[in-house]
Amino acid sequence: MLRLLKRISSVTAALATVASVAAAQQSGTISGRVLTEAGTPLASASVSIASLGLGAYTNDRGDYTITVSAARLTGQTATLTARRVGYAPKSVTIKLSANASIAQDFTLIQNANTLTGVVVTALGIAKEKSQLGTAQQQLSSTELNTTHDPNVLNQLQGKVSGVNITSGGTQGGTTHIVIRGSNSIKGNNEPLFIVDGVPVTNDNPLQASPGGGGLGGGGRDFGSAISDINPDDIATLTVLKGPNAAALYGSRASNGVIVITTKHGEASNGKISTQFTSSYTWDTPSVLPTYQNSYGQGAGGQFAYKDGQGGGIQDGNDQSYGPRLNGQLIPQFDSPVVNGIRQATPFIAHPNNVYSFFNTGHTVDNNIAFSGGTDKATGRLSVGMQNVAGIIPENTMQKFTGSLNGTLSVSDRLSTSAVVQYTNDAARNRPGVGYNTGILEQFVWFGRQVNLPELKNQFYNADGSLYNWNSNFHNNPYWIQSENPEQDDRDHVIGSVSANYKVADWLNAQFRSGSNIARFNTQQDFAQGNLNFGDQSYFGALQLYNFRTNENNTELLFTANKQVGSRLQLNGTFGANKRYITTHNARTSTNGLAVPGTYNISNAAITPINTQYDDRKQVNSGYGSGSFTWDQWWTVEVTGRNDWSSTLPKGNNSYFYPSINTSFVLTNAIPALQSRFLSYAKLRGSLAEVGSDADPYQLLTTYNGQTTKFGSLPQFSLSDNIANSTLKPEITKSGEVGMELGFFGDRASLDMTYYDKATTNQIIQLSVSPASGFNTTSINAGKIQNKGFEALLTITPIKTGNGEFTWNTTLNYSQNRSKVVSLYPGLQTQVLGGQWSANTEARVGYAYGAIYGFPFKRDSAGNLLLHNGLPQQGSLRVLGTIEPKYVAGWSNEFRFKRLSASVLLDIHRGGNIFSITNMFGQYSGVLASTMNGRQVDWDKPGLVVKGIDQKTGKANTDTVTSEQYYQSLFQLHEPFIYDDSYIKLRELRVGIDLPDAMAARMHASAVNLSFVGRNLWMHTKVPNIDPEFTYNTGNFQGMEFGELPNTKSLGLNLRITP
Amino acid sequence: MTTNKSLAKVAVGLAIAAGLAACNNDNLTSLNQNPNNPTNAPAGALFTNAVNTTTARFLGAGYDMRGASLIIQHQAETQYSDEDRYQRLQSADTRTFFDSPYSAELEDLKKVAAKGLANGQPGVYGPALTMQTWTFSYLTDSFGDVPYSDALSGDSTGGALLPKYDAQKDIYAGFFKTLSKVSADLATDPASDPGLGSADPIYNGDVASWQKFANSLHARYALRLVNVDPATADAQLKAAFTAPGGVFTSNSDMALMPWPGDGTTNNPWSNFYKGRDDNRMSQTLMNILLANNDPRVKIYAQPVQDSSLYPGGYGGMPNGLLTVNAGAYGNTASRAGAIFFPGVTSYGTFGGNGAKLPSYIMTYAEVALIQAEAAERGLGGLSPGQAAGFYNAGVTASLKQWGITDATAIANYLGQPSVAYKGGVAGLKQIALQKYIALYTDGGQAWAEWRRTCIPAGLTPGPGAIVSEIPRRFFYSPTEVSVNGANLQAAIARQGADNFLTRVYWDTKPTAAPTCS
Repeated sequence: MLRLLKRISSVTAALATVASVAAAQQSGTISGRVLTEAGTPLASASVSIASLGLGAYTNDRGDYTITVSAARLTGQTATLTARRVGYAPKSVTIKLSANASIAQDFTLIQNANTLTGVVVTALGIAKEKSQLGTAQQQLSSTELNTTHDPNVLNQLQGKVSGVNITSGGTQGGTTHIVIRGSNSIKGNNEPLFIVDGVPVTNDNPLQASPGGGGLGGGGRDFGSAISDINPDDIATLTVLKGPNAAALYGSRASNGVIVITTKHGEASNGKISTQFTSSYTWDTPSVLPTYQNSYGQGAGGQFAYKDGQGGGIQDGNDQSYGPRLNGQLIPQFDSPVVNGIRQATPFIAHPNNVYSFFNTGHTVDNNIAFSGGTDKATGRLSVGMQNVAGIIPENTMQKFTGSLNGTLSVSDRLSTSAVVQYTNDAARNRPGVGYNTGILEQFVWFGRQVNLPELKNQFYNADGSLYNWNSNFHNNPYWIQSENPEQDDRDHVIGSVSANYKVADWLNAQFRSGSNIARFNTQQDFAQGNLNFGDQSYFGALQLYNFRTNENNTELLFTANKQVGSRLQLNGTFGANKRYITTHNARTSTNGLAVPGTYNISNAAITPINTQYDDRKQVNSGYGSGSFTWDQWWTVEVTGRNDWSSTLPKGNNSYFYPSINTSFVLTNAIPALQSRFLSYAKLRGSLAEVGSDADPYQLLTTYNGQTTKFGSLPQFSLSDNIANSTLKPEITKSGEVGMELGFFGDRASLDMTYYDKATTNQIIQLSVSPASGFNTTSINAGKIQNKGFEALLTITPIKTGNGEFTWNTTLNYSQNRSKVVSLYPGLQTQVLGGQWSANTEARVGYAYGAIYGFPFKRDSAGNLLLHNGLPQQGSLRVLGTIEPKYVAGWSNEFRFKRLSASVLLDIHRGGNIFSITNMFGQYSGVLASTMNGRQVDWDKPGLVVKGIDQKTGKANTDTVTSEQYYQSLFQLHEPFIYDDSYIKLRELRVGIDLPDAMAARMHASAVNLSFVGRNLWMHTKVPNIDPEFTYNTGNFQGMEFGELPNTKSLGLNLRITP
Repeated sequence: MTTNKSLAKVAVGLAIAAGLAACNNDNLTSLNQNPNNPTNAPAGALFTNAVNTTTARFLGAGYDMRGASLIIQHQAETQYSDEDRYQRLQSADTRTFFDSPYSAELEDLKKVAAKGLANGQPGVYGPALTMQTWTFSYLTDSFGDVPYSDALSGDSTGGALLPKYDAQKDIYAGFFKTLSKVSADLATDPASDPGLGSADPIYNGDVASWQKFANSLHARYALRLVNVDPATADAQLKAAFTAPGGVFTSNSDMALMPWPGDGTTNNPWSNFYKGRDDNRMSQTLMNILLANNDPRVKIYAQPVQDSSLYPGGYGGMPNGLLTVNAGAYGNTASRAGAIFFPGVTSYGTFGGNGAKLPSYIMTYAEVALIQAEAAERGLGGLSPGQAAGFYNAGVTASLKQWGITDATAIANYLGQPSVAYKGGVAGLKQIALQKYIALYTDGGQAWAEWRRTCIPAGLTPGPGAIVSEIPRRFFYSPTEVSVNGANLQAAIARQGADNFLTRVYWDTKPTAAPTCS
């Protein structure tokens, strides 16, 4: 952090008096103190006179001193400005008379308006926001931590314009984030994260999917790497929206960059301060399906239990098209067996049988941080512990985070720092999602008469067989949680060391080497009898997964700043970086264990199945930027970067890309523009290009060793992808223009951007005809265009004169229109993923993420064409798009004396989803919507589907049962494509600052107690599910199955500041 | 002075930075060598994988047990009878039978053949081309026109990424050409050719066996054309029967996949039954077996759970029932025979060693029945007088193949009036019916034979079916609709609408078969 401050020193106003050869003999001084509103000293604030190129920084007591040479004390007036990151700058006019000794104190107010002040930009360089030619948005620790969510990305929801964030409902699960739409057809579309200068990708090696269960994962959402960052440790989070702001970051910047700086210690004369926060949250599912409670298990109105596998009447069946639940006597799984005969018991509904499976979850989160320092060294240590008891039985998660941040000034010129963040994240029984492993999937196929607590009380029958309501397709959900545990843990270290050397007053050199290291293991046990996995002739099964990755970046960066004359300010950077990444994936599993209860691979009864995948990649880079600012109103910056990547062939592996941006502060250029109405106006524009390389090993087609042997014979198969030895880098070109306006003395501000970007020469594994012998070929082709508009409006509608009552409101709006312009000659589509024959595709002429599936078969007038009274499949076509029309957030903050409150609404308008929960929930007859047609009895009154009988050409008169009708809709996707609009009350917080006297008794300067809530209310037309869901950080989105809803959380937060 | 010093430091710094940026850019390329997978692999390891993949595919759960064997009514579905009603045999469901064989086993077999051809090793390319032809025949018989001459040639330097579709007539001509070449070349296999050896799970590298198998397949495909092109059928039957090495002459010749049954690689039927219990024997096949006192019933099926229902303990279920009506048959229809079960399943213990049961890629029984039909019709150089002999040999071979080795039992079966060979059209019907029975576990071939011979006669879909006739082909793959649209449309224009009822080339003369009237 010290290095950051040092850079601020260079940037703001050229405090360095480089050219001052003449020593001042009768110099004057300007000195004073910079304080916060609360009266605490502000260290590292800059105080400067821009017109003279003079300035200084405050020390840890908030004091500064500027010396002015006698020659410059000519009695003129000058503007003295104090600034600090996160605070609104303040200027005063002073008169510089000979031998003057001026005292000037400042009180800086924390920034409400986001238009001015110092912000963190690319490469962690701090800049005046007024000089930026690109769009970015910075959030402070306070803004991030309004309410409590362990995943920092969830805290961004509704707060940043131009960003689309969707969060999966699984506690500890993934949050998917895309800035300004998806650029890449098949590649990564998530932004790059930079934590204290160290790149961290948000991927998880085990990506869940709506398809659910696979080996060692797939059916579970293990969260993504960025959720390991403790939100309490974050000082600022800056979103660089797109290639323009992020061009200097290179290859991975085309999707934007999120720069996170963590909190650091401050010089405090060695006094250590302690901050403590604690929160307790109650979590419940925000929405669960609405079930019918009139019909029980079975088919055709029939049911009688014998063995749960077809031995009785329809008892192998796992749907609820059985008899009416009117208390008639029917043998059931929990009916008593007397003398070998199962007695008939009343067939009644258990309306709560699914709901009662869910618990109220509890999240306890405690953080303690110590910080302090001297003028030579500072440090901050933070420790966080989080314990989650999930909303499903036997699901627990523990997260430990430790962060240590230290700086040491070795000499006046050399300073050093080291940062390390360690996270251990361990969980048991993360809820499964999707098919096969989904917690909610098992309730899509379910008997509405099942008395669920019975299954909790008993796992086994007297003969040792499993006790369950169905034995064909389902496991006892409680037995699964208890006897088939999933366990995982992740160690994650993000750390760096850096040294800063002041080569000359105007030139700074910085060396940094940092790594992002993660290790991740999962283990899934399958007890004997588990129907999903494992050969029944053995004693259970076992799956193990092991992953590690290490990305190291070593960087040398020079920054130069020079004031030329009183009006021209020059900045330059030049740097070089070496990035080296290795990953290792290994899986081991066996479908048969020899001895029950020992879940160890050495207990395998049959040859274990092993797979291994490793990759390595290196990118060397050189980059630089140069900029000038003229008279504080006009800035032009150019950047350039060259990458050399290991993944591209010789000849194509070196690529250069430039950018240029400019900004005009109109109100500085033409002061006459300023009025009571308009206080600030800035225009900006930028053009940028960013190159991107391939994944490793795409140049040569390989043969893949098979994971299993045929007896003892090894097996190989040619890859299904045609490699390409002439790949070129892909290029994103982006242009943006923006405007920043301040009104009514900055009571209101508006920041707007329009952008247009396109990615060409995409490196894609293009789908080809399988008849070619391959499924895909690696090529450079295709073009995706994204155009969009984003705006951020901040208003303080009410602020009473004494400041006792304030109301701040912020509205952000993002709209992105993507279009797949071309793919490859002759090709119309590229499949991103699919479920149950519907695909999410990149299809030429459509927005990225077209949902392609089967509609109803219709005649030319649009009537349904029916066969035996039932709908039929039409020809595949585009049924919707996953791209929302817009997303918006509206936050309000109220403060009255010691009370504060905030409300955040998150709005998602348009776009479509395919809900498989609804498709199967109707197929199986559990949903309330399937009552249609069986209001009287299972086959009465029935349904006459409106449409034309295909045979007769006349209006249909055939009556079908609701069972026939809803089952005929299987893989007929049209009725299950929904408009994905929703409004969520994302955050609600009501807090109180305890009176000082009470705080003092707790040895604290401030104590805040808040009531917080997340996802308390939602409005949507999508039935039965949470319309906001994601399974992974990949590009296959928009299809829902068995996703857990986002939790509704209520909690208490306690924050004690020393 | 200060400035000079600074500049010197800058220079040093820049040099370091430049070093960082540009260091070893040549070595970058070598870093991209794939540590996971080689760029070449031995022909044997490719062959092993390809042949067991294709066998498991076409004689296994997807294509056979939930597709062809339901269509041809070897089996029926008790629960979620969607496939049995053809609801789940539409394009989205059958695409994998089109997409996967090309990119998996067919491409790998092509690489094996290329290696063998390059090294002059008929012992390598002969088996590869034979199994490639076997695989292609399931594709073309199921879909009609498919990519063949242009197929499997994708590469980064311009091979066909979007191959054209060949007319089925030309594909069959290709089969004959390929199989003739295989047979001829295997006859001259040099002693220096080590062949595939133990990497060949079917014949353990025995060249003479492959020759017989190639010739037998040749005969199968020749006879398939008999309705539309009797002259070619005749000529190609003759070519097959007289090719060097001849066709199968006993059960010890037949092509079978010996599954290791080690828990990792098992017989595909046993894998299916391990976790699913919703297939039962179809009433169609069961009634045929029971009507002729067929001793194979005890092998093919198990007694029904509720054995009081049927005097003999065996019963079938009707096909294509609605879920409402199908469920009841779980207890009242026969499961597949115990030999197909792996022992412990998720719903009980049946049989024992089904995981090791071989899959029958082509049997001697089928070859003898092909010969019987050829003889009865005077094709391929055979004469009607030979038909009975071949017929009896075929039936006997099938009984023995399924473990009915008792000579008396065989004689009793053959001696029944309904089974004893009658000759003429009645004989042709008997031959076709015996083939239908013998082809249990190979629904794909039984389906093709029914389309050609109309036997078993009077086959109709179940009451819940979404079409009112038995499907004559599958829909083309949605992948092709998306990716290879122009070539696909050309095929549809030539062949007819893309639906269940369009007939493939060799099925276009429905009245030509004497057994259809």
